[in-house]
Amino acid sequence: MVNGQRKISLGTLVVFALVAAFVLIVPSVTSGYSMMIVNLSLIYAIATYGLSVMLGMGGMLSFAAVSFMGGGAYWVANLCTGRLGVSMEPWLALLLAPVVFAVVGFIIGSILLKLNGTYFTFATIALVQVAWCLFQNYRPLFGGPDGISGIATLEMFGLKITSYTQWFYVLAAITLIVALLVERIRRTQLGRSLAAIRDNQTAAQILGVDVYHTKVIAFTIAAALGALSGALYCLQGRFVSSDMFTFERATQFIIMAMLGGVNDTFGIFLGSVLITVLPESLRVLQKYLKIVYGTAIILLMIFMPMGIMGAIKDGFKKMRRKKREALMNVAREVKP
Amino acid sequence: MNFNVFVALTVNGLAMGVIYALLAMGLILLIRAVGVMNFAQGDLLMLGAYITCWLTVDLELPFWLMVLVALLCFAVVGLIFMFSVYWPLRNASYPAATVIATMGASMVLKELVTLLWGSLPRSMPSLVRTEDGSAAVLQIGSINLQWQYVLTILVGIVIMALVFFLFEKMYVGKMMQAAAQDAYAASMLGIPTIATIAVTYIVVVIMVSVGGYMIAPIFMVSTTLGSLQLRAFAGVVIGGFGNIKGAIIGSLLVGLIESFSTLQFSSYKDVTVFMVLIIFLLVRPQGIFGERIADKA
Repeated sequence: MVNGQRKISLGTLVVFALVAAFVLIVPSVTSGYSMMIVNLSLIYAIATYGLSVMLGMGGMLSFAAVSFMGGGAYWVANLCTGRLGVSMEPWLALLLAPVVFAVVGFIIGSILLKLNGTYFTFATIALVQVAWCLFQNYRPLFGGPDGISGIATLEMFGLKITSYTQWFYVLAAITLIVALLVERIRRTQLGRSLAAIRDNQTAAQILGVDVYHTKVIAFTIAAALGALSGALYCLQGRFVSSDMFTFERATQFIIMAMLGGVNDTFGIFLGSVLITVLPESLRVLQKYLKIVYGTAIILLMIFMPMGIMGAIKDGFKKMRRKKREALMNVAREVKP
Repeated sequence: MNFNVFVALTVNGLAMGVIYALLAMGLILLIRAVGVMNFAQGDLLMLGAYITCWLTVDLELPFWLMVLVALLCFAVVGLIFMFSVYWPLRNASYPAATVIATMGASMVLKELVTLLWGSLPRSMPSLVRTEDGSAAVLQIGSINLQWQYVLTILVGIVIMALVFFLFEKMYVGKMMQAAAQDAYAASMLGIPTIATIAVTYIVVVIMVSVGGYMIAPIFMVSTTLGSLQLRAFAGVVIGGFGNIKGAIIGSLLVGLIESFSTLQFSSYKDVTVFMVLIIFLLVRPQGIFGERIADKA
């Protein structure tokens, strides 16, 4: 066991080294538009972390992340342009967004999670469609088809965050915090209860897990993370419109999560970056890239359903087992 | 609201409802046969529209030949779809994997048609045309109805009746049902489950593609046709999950709700349709015809 523990920490070290390299190297080799794409991938990653709590830990397929992302984005957009007569400092609006939408998510989650499995998934699809349609058409709150522009710049600790490179550091920091938070949740009672529900709901219930409330809390966390990502998206782009929050985007989030490894904190990050950045950096292949992606997803599901990180972990496990078996064989040979 | 408008809206709603019903029926057949929720259902409809559009507009085949070639294409598509997205995944350890794979397939199909036929929406001539090539109108008394809508309803009903006949009355259909209910026991009895599943996929693709062919002249042929599947999902749930009769009635209801809500708030019709869905889910999650059955995880 002690041996196993040491191995895990080695993996963690590698992950941290990779993240540090990412933060150090990326801003020096990219700028402008490509920097924005990298930033976008971080923003998506935050929302996808919410999904990983729902789908990876809890096994609930939810499309709702994108609606809460929209909620957070429009929340900031309305408060930082003063179009409703209320103005707020962007950093305060940003901080409040996850709090407010945690409450909204709690209420919606309490209603929707009365449903089970596939029914719940359908309800979230309906939620996405309703929210998107409202975003697109209701002018007073969401600006209708034109969206909302002219959002104030984020100012933190007396520093105006304007360039994409500055944004990168802010987003990287927030993503890291969110990632650590999710990793932490995985190891708490909540995370273990969710895993129990995912693997066998009836058994979890018998063992005393409060299934309904655990699910609602997971939904609330996902909603808060979605809203946070939406608020950041809105502040970075200083513009928001409804075509960001479609059902297709929701599908994209799920694909990101599955690609990297839905149950792996680093995998979520990897998936978001791969899905968002690769199409931009491989412009030559642009035409065929989405086909390649779709095919890759199908192949991935066939050969490694737990995503890239899942496959890597499995590979390590197999290697370790082989090593152990080899040792056992040696021991057996030595014994007589 | 006068009577003419009422009839016109009803016919439009029923026509759309029939399309949703074709999608929904296909969904249920797949869920029953292989237990997979297909998120590429709308994209299969879109592919059907593109294929028929290609055969009629680009190749200018005569109608009968077009139908033959199209059916052949649909069958091949069905087989390819099954052997890429379902068959390798049938023993997947992670149940969500098969569903995600269909999402991947949806992406592939959308991109494939844009690569093959360009990203611009294509127009397709109506089935019944006036001399100058525009869509013909059926006049009954003072009521004007588009022929295309009426034909859509008729074709949809015929297809649904045929599929119903295939599954309920024919020996092959009984074999397919047996294989769907208990694949292991069925294969013990000598039923080739791989063949029955393949036939199910082919039937589903044909149904859905014909829906695409009928709808193509009403909308343009474009990748947005894929999003019709969301309404079909709504229809499936409203009717009662896993129940074909319910899915058809639920889909027709969705079509009608959508059609009549254009009268009051045209840009919010999605809100109406999906709010009805949410309300249904909360008040009667088992649907109109559903029995109280536990959801299989």
